[in-house]
Formats: sequence, structure tokens, C-alpha cells
Amino acid sequence: MKLLVPLKQVPDSTMRIKVAPDGKSIVTEGITWSISPYDEYAVEMALEQKDADPSTTVSVVTVGPVRAKDALRAALAMGCDDGTFVTSDENAAPLVVARALAKFVEQKQPDLVLCGRQASDDDQGFVGPALATILGWPHVATVTKFAPADGGIEIWREVEGGHEVWKASGPALVTVQKSDKEPRYASLPGIMKAKKKELPELALSSLGVDAAAPKIEVVKMETPPQRGGGKILKAADGDAASVAAELVRLLRDEAKVL
Amino acid sequence: MTDLASRAALDLSLTPEQELVQRTARSFATDELLPKAAEIDRDARFPADAVQKLGALGFMGMLVPSEYGGAGLDAISYAIAIEEISRADASVGVIMSVQNSLVCGALVTEGDEEQKRRFLPRLASGALLGCFALSEPQAGSDASNLKCAAVRQGDHWIVNGTKNFITTGAHAGVVLLFAQTDPAARHHGITCLLVDTKQPGVIVAKQEHKLGIRGSDTTQLVFQDARVADADRLGAVGSGFKVAMKTLDSGRIGIAAQAVGIARACLEDAAAYAKQREAFGKPIAEFQAIQWKIADMSTQVDAARLLTWRAAALKDAHEPYTAEASMAKLFASDVAVRAARECVQVFGGYGYVQDFPAERHYRDAKITEIYEGTSEIQRIVIAEDTLQE
Repeated sequence: MKLLVPLKQVPDSTMRIKVAPDGKSIVTEGITWSISPYDEYAVEMALEQKDADPSTTVSVVTVGPVRAKDALRAALAMGCDDGTFVTSDENAAPLVVARALAKFVEQKQPDLVLCGRQASDDDQGFVGPALATILGWPHVATVTKFAPADGGIEIWREVEGGHEVWKASGPALVTVQKSDKEPRYASLPGIMKAKKKELPELALSSLGVDAAAPKIEVVKMETPPQRGGGKILKAADGDAASVAAELVRLLRDEAKVL
Repeated sequence: MTDLASRAALDLSLTPEQELVQRTARSFATDELLPKAAEIDRDARFPADAVQKLGALGFMGMLVPSEYGGAGLDAISYAIAIEEISRADASVGVIMSVQNSLVCGALVTEGDEEQKRRFLPRLASGALLGCFALSEPQAGSDASNLKCAAVRQGDHWIVNGTKNFITTGAHAGVVLLFAQTDPAARHHGITCLLVDTKQPGVIVAKQEHKLGIRGSDTTQLVFQDARVADADRLGAVGSGFKVAMKTLDSGRIGIAAQAVGIARACLEDAAAYAKQREAFGKPIAEFQAIQWKIADMSTQVDAARLLTWRAAALKDAHEPYTAEASMAKLFASDVAVRAARECVQVFGGYGYVQDFPAERHYRDAKITEIYEGTSEIQRIVIAEDTLQE
């Protein structure tokens, strides 16, 4: 089985994000970059299939600036077989990314494409479904498990109070939800094996994708407003009964949770 | 004199591989070690589960070439990993250091092909743990004065004697034993033997109750007519002392990195506490008295790490590094002890109780000034090297 995981490099979730002086981007200086968490779950899901059936190949691909190569290296160190780097500007438009990936999928012809359900930086959740649409492939969202079944692939997705099982007869695309299986650590021998692997580079132009169109633009970025401090009712504010009554009033009238 | 101006700028950047090693080590340390460190310390429990997982990830044979099942990494990666692991749990740090530097290290440099094939893959995966038995009840720093003796009988050696303060002694399947095989020749009469612990003649006589690094077991091993095949002799007869000293050079990089990890734990924990603990109406981090402590700790941790990485870089370049490893170990262990003292002070009363990690750091730090060569021995090594020039 041939699996492909397109992944995105994002600021590590432990980073404190600051808006840059231009008000439209974030300060990237001093940022540690990582594979987006849902993409990491997708890599783990693909590698588990490889653990179960060693004939499985797991490829990774990313569209991004030069630093994004590190994300591919990290995925190879986890145990993926090969990685391809598609060079782009710092903030390639999601549709451009999806178009580039579609060209790559056509070349690579995987049986299943696994995307994270959304990237943790912009949270748009756009690329996976857009890629399936461009390819004309079926798409199942927020998937927690898959397995090869007679002549196709069985796909589990979580729904309220249970799960659904789908079956894809031909190639398909899934977007991956967080699951119980935490992404594995890159093993040290894996890191050294990854070092020896070539990372082929493709330009957007060589894939026949126009980087310029269509353009969306971030107009403004703002940090959420500072949260006000909590309100503390003290014993000095009255006896227990009146403090409780005040608490109920605040929860009902101000917090509106009762 | 070296013309400093003509030297190229120091390159302190990490390779992509070194960064990935740091990332794996840090995630593992934060997720798997840190949450259990206090409990492991309190119960003096060997972290078998963590050791097994570290072995599976390649941390037990980091410097072992890949053809013998190791990760085939460089010494800087090794120092980075030990620092990260020790930042979370210094007990695991020393278990790792002994297995990597002393046991695997000696086998890689001194072992014959058959010994390497037989031992290294299992050591590198953590399936087999090893220990390093040099010190004796009356011979610690004076390591040439050994009483433990091995006598040749046909193609075997028969070992009798006592070894003290053996890290991982109760869990090791193999002992790197330094025994006197020619007492008249003193340190030229010491031979290194790989002793299988699964025999009646190898007895774990005593488990020490220690001040710190309580998750790592420290034992007295008694040898009573223990048998070792001559094929399990590591290096030439009489070369044991040289093997031990060379191996300890590399071990000092490991312990220096462990000390850096402990010192960093002190710094990070103290800084985090100082930012949230309030006194006189503001966080104590806003008082200069605390800021100066944090500034000193921060500077010292960086300096200790740089000395450690320099020793590792020399080892990687196959340059002599004996004095540099001693400097790193001497300085980093002193930094760890000082940082731990200041960490307790920043925490105040909470630094003295077990609900917070400061007192554990304080107890863990001290051993770094003692084992694998006391600070006094390091100074002898450094002075000899400096004065001979």
C-alpha cells in the first residue's frame, strides 16, 4: 500500500506567538518550528500501517520555505520512507498549496492520502478537502483509523457517541483527527538513517502551478483581548447564605451560565 | 602561542541531526521522565520502564556504530541528550551515562570483533545493562591500588574481591571488572574482564542508601571464585588501568552533561517560581536580589555547557580531550551544586520540602563533584596537563 502524508511546518505549540509590527504577520525570529500536530497524527497513522504490513511505503511532502525541510527530516526520522520538498514563498496561499500537492499526487499515485484535519497555525482546514476536490477523489474527514479491506480501504471516523465505518473502493483522501495513538518519537537510529536520504526539491513552476494566483491576503492580525481577572467572593462580603446568593446572581446575570 | 585572531569564528550551531536528537530527548524527558521523577526519587525505584523505552529509541548506545546496533551519533549529540534527560531526572542521566560512556565506550574502543558483535547490539538496545567496576572499599581516587584479583586457570580467570559504589550493579547483566592480575606490577598489572553477573560467584552484597540520584542503584559487588573465560578479557593483560582511564575521559563528558542538566533544571524551576511567587505585593522575580541569582545561574549554565560541548567536539575530531573533559566536569559539577543551592534559596521554605523539586536538585547535584573522578582528581589532571606544556 502506498501512503502519502502532506505536512505543514508550523510554530511549535510551546511557542508564544507575537504579532509583528506590520500587524499582518507573526514574529518568526526565535521560533522553534515543528510538524503541525494533526499532521503528526497522520504520520503516526500511516506508520502504524507500515508496522502492520512492512510492504507499505509512507511518503511525505511539504510545500513551504526552506526551513520546512526540517519538518520532512523529522518525519523521515520517525520512519517515513521518502520525502519531497516543494519550494514556495513564506506564506503560499492554501489553494496554491492544494494545487501543487494535486500535481504531486498525480505523479506519485498513492492509494491513500492522509492530511491532518487542520494546521495548528491558521486552523483553516482547507488544504485536505481542496486537494480531494482538485483530484476528484473521495474524502472522509476527522478520521481516527483505517485498514485495508477487500479491494479497498476501511475508514473509521468519530461521530457523536460512536463511530462510522466507511469504505473507499479506490484511492481516497482522509483528514486525520487526534487519536489515542500518540505520534512516536524519532528514534536516534532513525535520525541517522534520515540524514542519508536525499530530499528531492521541486519548484512550483516545474509542477505547472502559478504561485501568484489566486491571492488571499491577511489584512490584519490581532492578539485576543487580555482576559480580566476572576472575581473572588470573600467571607467578609457577608455570611455564607448571602455569599451563595450573590454567586448565583453573578452566574445567572453576568456569566449567564445558569 | 596560538594566534587567536587568525582562528575561524566558533561555530556553535547544531546540525539538523543534533537538533532532532535534542527534540526527541526533550520530548521524552518532558513527557515520560519529569512526571515521575519525584516519585522515583522518593521510592528509590530503578526506572526500568524508562530505561527500556530509552533503549528502544537508541539512547543506550548513542555512540555505538550502526553496524553494532547503535545510533552511530557524535559526542555532541550525546552531551545534548544527557543534558535533556538529566534536566528531567538526574538518576536516568547517570544510568544512561554509565551505559553509553563506560560500558559501550570501552567495548567500542577496546573490544575485539567477536566481543563487539556479542555485546554491543544488546547493550545499545538496552536489553542488556552493564556496569563499570573499578572502585574498591579502600581504593576510590587511588584507582591503581586494587585488591580484587583474577588468577589465570587454563583458559579461564578466577576472580575474588570486592567492588564498591557500582552504578547499575543490581541490574547489570555484565560487569566491566578491573582486577589485579599481577600485584607486583601495581597499575601495570590490572586487567579488564567482562564478567557475566548471572553466576553464583557474583553477589550483589549491598545496595547503598543515598543522598541523591536515588533512582539509580549503587551497589557493592562481591566476587567469590567467579569464572570468566579468557575470551571475555577486554584488551591485553595488564592494560586495564589504561583502559579505565581512557574510558573515564569520555565518562566525564557524560557527567559534565548531567551536571549541566541538573543546573538547568535549577535555573528553569527557580525562574518559573520567581515569576509567580509574590512577596511585598509583586513577583519576587522583580527584586534585584532574585534577578542577580538568576543572572548568575544563567551565565554559569551556559559556560558549563560550552565547556562540555568543547570536550565533546574534540572527541568527535579525534583530538586529545583528557584535560578538557576534566575542566568540563570540574566546572559543570561546581555549577550544578551552586545552582541547586540558589534554587533552594529562591524557593525559600518551599525549597526545603519535597512538594517542590528544588530539594531534589540540591541532593542530586552533589554527586557530580564526586563520581567519575572527584573535583580534586580533576584538578590534578588539569594541572598536570597545564604544567607539562
